[in-house]
Amino acid sequence: MNDNVFEINNVSRAFGQVTAVDGLTLSLRKGEVTGFLGTNGAGKTTTIKMLIGLIRPTSGTVRLFGRDPVESSVRARIGYMPEMAYYYPFLNVRELLAFYGGVCGMDGKSVKSRTDELLEAVGLVDAAKRPLKTYSKGMLQRAGIAQALLNDPDLLILDEPFTGLDPLARIHFRELIKKLREKGKSIFFSSHELGETELLCDSVAIMKKGHCIYHGPVDRLAGDGGGNLERLFLDVLEKGGVQ
Amino acid sequence: MNGRIRRIGALVKLSLLELWRRNDMFALLVLALVLLVPLSMARPFGATGATRYFDEAALLLVWGYSLFISLGVGGRLFTSEFANRTVYPLLAKPVSRGELLLGKYLGAVAAAWSALAFFYALWAVSSALRGGECLSVCFFQAFVLHALFAALAVAAALCGSFLFTPSASTTLLAILFPAMFFFGRRLPEYAENVSGALRWLVDAFYWVAPHVEFFDMRQRLVHGWGGVEPGVFLAVVGYGVAYSAVLLLFTGILFNRKRL
Repeated sequence: MNDNVFEINNVSRAFGQVTAVDGLTLSLRKGEVTGFLGTNGAGKTTTIKMLIGLIRPTSGTVRLFGRDPVESSVRARIGYMPEMAYYYPFLNVRELLAFYGGVCGMDGKSVKSRTDELLEAVGLVDAAKRPLKTYSKGMLQRAGIAQALLNDPDLLILDEPFTGLDPLARIHFRELIKKLREKGKSIFFSSHELGETELLCDSVAIMKKGHCIYHGPVDRLAGDGGGNLERLFLDVLEKGGVQ
Repeated sequence: MNGRIRRIGALVKLSLLELWRRNDMFALLVLALVLLVPLSMARPFGATGATRYFDEAALLLVWGYSLFISLGVGGRLFTSEFANRTVYPLLAKPVSRGELLLGKYLGAVAAAWSALAFFYALWAVSSALRGGECLSVCFFQAFVLHALFAALAVAAALCGSFLFTPSASTTLLAILFPAMFFFGRRLPEYAENVSGALRWLVDAFYWVAPHVEFFDMRQRLVHGWGGVEPGVFLAVVGYGVAYSAVLLLFTGILFNRKRL
């Protein structure tokens, strides 16, 4: 039985003359945490947008839980946090989560209990009544994490989740990811933070100019050169691929 | 079905909250009240004609306010979603683009209608205080048609925001709607007096442009001429609904084609 949460098969996506993703094949197993690495413009965000059904591939197929990501029933099982969103400034975080809960079709009672749980988890209890326009970048990022987790998703897709987080918030976030992994959730996140990625991930995928040049376990990548992920990330990029 | 209603309900509530928490809208509301109340309460020398003139001016102010609010709310519905990147987590939820469009549109219309209801209630109270008949068929018709105009203006602003930049769209519609409001009924007359390509252009414009003057019942209300025939009223309602629906449908196509 196939236990892949998502499967990207030979996917390409072009925007006019520019090919953002070229012949990408990638999958994520249930309960796995994968870091999605690459330089700016490597095709990470485009891949993530195809995964959540925001854009369609020019060629190839994307399947989440064996189905098309455009289907609502598929998206009910994922949580997504964009790279840096400025959530509705006129709402407070409780109202924000109530709104997203409504959009997910959740009833008021379950939204409320889930909100209490998530505000505690992301450390926004004290700021829960403040309008989002008064939040710092890191606090907005934490609100973003809370909205992504609201529907208790099976697959969490995060685009640059560490951006703007202070060291303490990073530690909390790391702990949160570990707890989610223990619960059997699958997590796929893009990042430029190689240290955090190394600490959190079972595997990494490295993109370069729209191609995936490495996809495999973190320890294998580290073992190839015997150094840390940062140095090896550079090696892989310079060589153009490990596999 | 319940899930769909809940999703659309959440989007409607968001649009309402956005409107009523914006400071500039409150400033405008206060300004409109400051102008509207003295105008509708004024009894210059006890002359009936002059009172009606002030009444009409007060209603014209309500029309201006509703146009401003409809264009402002409709034009901002999606531009702020794209600018703030909130459209991405929203579309990653189990909500379709059609539901998102409909929910946000209904929310903006509800916001515009709530402001409109407030002004009509105020006008009705001031009219009653002066001994006028306020809750007549004509008043009801005037409110419904004005509300339909607001719904049409929101749909047009929403559509415009996908076609042009927000400021260009608002400027264009802020010219088009008042122009049609004041001169729309004179277009056939004008077309009679021109020929050739210009005649063809004026005729085409007459059939395509939104006839917002159809929704204007100010004079009937102020001069006590009574309501319009039910058939005429229903035809205008049908026109407003159909025009708004076409605009929404076109916006839906643009939204589906938009690169995110």
